[in-house]
Amino acid sequence: MRLFCQFVLLTSSIIAVVIAQCTPVAVVAQPKAAPGFKTDGVAFLKQHCVKCHAGEKPKADLALDRFADEAAILKDRKTWQRVLDVLKAGEMPPPSRPQPTVGETEAFTKIIGDLFEQHDRTAKPDPGRVTMRRLNRNEYNYTIRDLIGIDFNPAEDFPSDDVGHGFDNIGDVLTLPPVLLERYLAAAETVMQKAITPNPPKTPVRGIGTQFTEPASANVPMKNGFRVVLFKPDGTPVETGPIFTRYKVPEDGEYIARATVFAETKGTKPVKVALLAGCAPDAKGVATDAEAEQLAGAAVKSLRPFMVLKTFEVKGRTEKMTDALQADIPAGIAFEKLAVALVKPEEGEPAPTLYVKYISLEGPRDMRPPSHRKLLTCDPKKTPAEQTREVLERFTLRAFRRPIEKVELDRLVQLADRELAKGEKWESAIQFAMTAALVSPKFLFRIELDDRPNSPEPRAIDEYQLASRLSYFLWSSMPDDELFELARKKQLTANLELQVKRMLRDPKAAAITEHFVTQWLQMQPLRNSRPDPTRFPQFDERLRSAMVQETKLFFNEIIREDRSVLDVLNADFTYLNSALARHYGITDTAGNTVGQNAKTRKPGGQPIRGDQFVRVNLGGSVRGGVLTQASILTVTSNPGRTSPVKRGRWVLEQLLGTPPPPPPPDVPELEKDGKPVTVGTLRQQMEAHRQNPACANCHAKMDGLGFGLENFDAIGAFRTKDGDAAIDSSGELPGGVTFAGPAELKQVLLAKKDLYVKCLTEKLLTYALGRGLEYYDRRSVEKIAAATAKNNYRFSALVSELVQSDPFRLRRGTNP
Amino acid sequence: MIPRPVSRRTALKGLGVSVALPWLEAMGPVTGWAAGADTRNPAPNRMCFLYVPNGKNMADWTPKAEGKGFDLPAILQPLKGVQDELLVLTGLTADKARAHGDGGGDHARALGAFLTGSQPKKTDGTDIRAGISVDQVAATRLADKTRLPSLELGGEHGAMAGNCDSGYSCVYSSTMSWRSATQPLPKEVNPKIVFERLFATKPNAERLAQDARRKSILDFVRDDSKELEQKLGANDKRKLSEYFSALRDLELRIERAEKLPPVKTPDYKTPAGIPANYEEHIRLQYDLIALAFQTDVTRVVTFVLANEGSNKTYPMAGVNEAHHELSHHGNDPAKKAKIRDINTFHTSQLAYFLEKLKGMKEGDGTLLDHSMIAYGSGNSDGNAHNHDDLPILVAGKGCGTFRTGRHIRYAKETPLNNLWISMLDRMDIKVASLGDSTGQLRDLT
Repeated sequence: MRLFCQFVLLTSSIIAVVIAQCTPVAVVAQPKAAPGFKTDGVAFLKQHCVKCHAGEKPKADLALDRFADEAAILKDRKTWQRVLDVLKAGEMPPPSRPQPTVGETEAFTKIIGDLFEQHDRTAKPDPGRVTMRRLNRNEYNYTIRDLIGIDFNPAEDFPSDDVGHGFDNIGDVLTLPPVLLERYLAAAETVMQKAITPNPPKTPVRGIGTQFTEPASANVPMKNGFRVVLFKPDGTPVETGPIFTRYKVPEDGEYIARATVFAETKGTKPVKVALLAGCAPDAKGVATDAEAEQLAGAAVKSLRPFMVLKTFEVKGRTEKMTDALQADIPAGIAFEKLAVALVKPEEGEPAPTLYVKYISLEGPRDMRPPSHRKLLTCDPKKTPAEQTREVLERFTLRAFRRPIEKVELDRLVQLADRELAKGEKWESAIQFAMTAALVSPKFLFRIELDDRPNSPEPRAIDEYQLASRLSYFLWSSMPDDELFELARKKQLTANLELQVKRMLRDPKAAAITEHFVTQWLQMQPLRNSRPDPTRFPQFDERLRSAMVQETKLFFNEIIREDRSVLDVLNADFTYLNSALARHYGITDTAGNTVGQNAKTRKPGGQPIRGDQFVRVNLGGSVRGGVLTQASILTVTSNPGRTSPVKRGRWVLEQLLGTPPPPPPPDVPELEKDGKPVTVGTLRQQMEAHRQNPACANCHAKMDGLGFGLENFDAIGAFRTKDGDAAIDSSGELPGGVTFAGPAELKQVLLAKKDLYVKCLTEKLLTYALGRGLEYYDRRSVEKIAAATAKNNYRFSALVSELVQSDPFRLRRGTNP
Repeated sequence: MIPRPVSRRTALKGLGVSVALPWLEAMGPVTGWAAGADTRNPAPNRMCFLYVPNGKNMADWTPKAEGKGFDLPAILQPLKGVQDELLVLTGLTADKARAHGDGGGDHARALGAFLTGSQPKKTDGTDIRAGISVDQVAATRLADKTRLPSLELGGEHGAMAGNCDSGYSCVYSSTMSWRSATQPLPKEVNPKIVFERLFATKPNAERLAQDARRKSILDFVRDDSKELEQKLGANDKRKLSEYFSALRDLELRIERAEKLPPVKTPDYKTPAGIPANYEEHIRLQYDLIALAFQTDVTRVVTFVLANEGSNKTYPMAGVNEAHHELSHHGNDPAKKAKIRDINTFHTSQLAYFLEKLKGMKEGDGTLLDHSMIAYGSGNSDGNAHNHDDLPILVAGKGCGTFRTGRHIRYAKETPLNNLWISMLDRMDIKVASLGDSTGQLRDLT
């Protein structure tokens, strides 16, 4: 009987087929006590390796006979890591050669592994060295937003960033192809064109004839093109006015209000008129009740809130002799309406009549964007040359994220001066110099300049560099003013913990979810996944984006509320909108479900309606934690069905940090007696093939975990049947651990929380540093993980420990 | 963006699906050779490499008969109209896509080795390495002839996460072009950006002024960054030199643009972005390749229709299962039929492209006569992951250097790279070898 395995695993966004053709499990003799390299190790090498890998021309340029003792092995760690990898994966020795038993291989890899581990515990600490990191697309966008103050996705056209070690922010891996530099140049031009307008357009004037103003009705009297505002005239019940018009202003700023009016009166006192600006209820200078009471007109009440810009005495008494009223509208009042109102005449005065022909709005007075003013602000008492220096020095401090040297500033000033000499305006010259700065490697890369780049001695990075490491880790962006100020005063290191807490509370910390979490959990493929529409007609774009949003909001709460990172494995809350709640069969915020027994109903739930996400209590529910979120359940499935292998592998890789070995070459097909195996349920097919010892060894770990999630279909809906067959969501893991269903599976994982926290620490440290971890990081990882556990697994504890660790705060030269 | 004349926009509705495009020939010649048979100024030869992932259903691809008048199995059926323009080449091998001790990862290696003939280094990031690809050999040699040395297109974004195939970086399974052994070139998936890159949308005087400003910025940043080196470690320096090399490239491109005649922007609606419909998407990209060749903006194009190992579904071809997973069909006839349908979908799109080129008159023939369009995959049967007997065809007469309309069977293990150096030779680029090539392919002329 031939049995083959064909099972599909998730390697990341692309799926690789992995057929585990493992070495048959044989009866293993107990290893002798304390095996060492010189005896047992060398014996293994002699028997299985050095026939090919030795001598003058060893295969694959790998001569294993060079390694006579443990010291020699420790010196060439890279080679031995590869040896271990291929042995564990069963790639070597090649199938044509006699195979060692699994036990023999394990014993040998343990000897080498223990050797390294023992060495690492006693070796001199090594903080490693991070290769300078190019800003990736997200970092570029956020940095421009924070540097210039314009949020408009300038990196949209950049090619996608290279990914290594699971993340898109790894210095060694991020390349700079010519086409990207071309885009950087174009983006810098666009950004600075938006930021600075050397020749601001003329201030627009928007006028309106009063026949078009409000209140509009056929009853509102007009006379020769003038709107007539009456104040309780004899025999007329109508009290018209104030008349007003709405303006939609593009941005906040100072405006000028104008109106053309004259008035008729039989009295002796002057006729008074006010220009009003509709504004926010809490705007400074908003009219009080008393002020409003002074004004005439039925519409005064409905016009509020407004502010009285200015009150005028109208001199003009005929159409030919009008008054031009003018008043300033201050910035920052959320201006939206302009109105003209008659002021009530004094007691005893006869009712005046006001005629209004024209209302107009001029502004904003300053047509330069806020970024222009912010970037070019300078001391007006200085000479133009000094102003150039002031402006460019301030800009480069923030753009290069460090104070610049005098020679650097001199060069940039010269560049601006050359533009001035060509006859350009000062604003254009500065704009040009700033554009150049945005194309400089000093901006595009996070360079950590080093006076001793080749010294192996570990030392602290400087405070500005620390500020950038912090801000790009937690915000994916440049440091803010507070971080810069602490760095300037050299007080950042002393205030690390406080700063971490402050930064995590900032809305910018959502970048951790957006960029770390989605990559760690490998959620990106969800954007392109296409569940089979015939099987899952309910899957649509709304549901897809709701899935992503649930996971993001879930993590945002963990970060914001500083919850335990164990919530990731199992939590009693989540966030749902109506689409996702329906998908989960959840009816309200108390977590009650469709068809639930009335006796078990939890009280106090509000129905979940619309696209808005609400927090839902999951206490006692089958859901809770990322493993039961539709996002993860969908990315770990095939379009048409679940894949227990992918799900199991995902748990091993992303949560436990114990990835199964990569698949061996020469993948056999899943067939039996020459015919493809397609009969039976998925689980039956898989179990059939696991009876083959060749497959069992590698698949036992993955499949068992995946079976525990079989109650969730390929898009994460709960089910108790697959077709006609009942779902069996029990599983067994190596070591005889058994469980039944997702809830027990989560308990199994919680029992492995040390592994999980270590895995999370490794992923977060990789992301924070922007480099792959090395053996010498092991101690730091263990220290961070242990301290996190001690602090009740709080997220902030994890981050605080991490940023105070040696690899984050220190570095050494390249060639130790 | 500056609006351009829109005289024929109405005719362009539904673009990329079935409506014929108003090609430039209708508006007068864009290039010297487009006008008519000018023996002093013959049309140049172009090369284009099209990659489809996950191998083929080989039984429905390989013709039984050799030579002229060969039979067209199901997958080649859509190409019936251009059969006389084809050379179906059976028996070629991408040996460097094989494991050679590196274990799993046939998808990553299949694309990584396809145009390079070099064994991609198994790494998930830090030290990526394959070899220079055939298109980049040509691009380097032809650099001063056209405004863009080459164009790299894609039909699917590069994968965003970690390692993509058994410990290989995602770069390998999503990139076809290698400028050097260590520098993969990213592909452009968005037709809008491709169009804007091909055709400057600014008036010439404005563009020249912009180029002058850009040059002065590039001068400045280079001078201003030199001293950084002293304070950088070895890996940092490597990154900085990557920056300087990109900078030099950009300067050269600007200098070239000054010397070359301005490119006439075709009367073609700027694509709005990436169409949601995949068929529309790849037809737009095909249109842009045709335009790029016709206007001579470039003579070298690569187009990865989908990443190697792609799990795209093809509902338009009646396939709702993921491509890669299906390709491991385990000899299940139903799955094999679906693979055939995906393969046939792709050859239908190829037919669209070839017919487009054939319909574009140029000098004494058509654009297709002056092109070499190579099409295929670095995997043969997706189930077996074998890299010999690859599905490969070349279309176009290569300026009279190909005797087309034939099926040729080569000896087993004939390197695929032999085809590539044969194509280089037809661009007047003589190289002794490339990757694992052993000499030129026989019998093409």
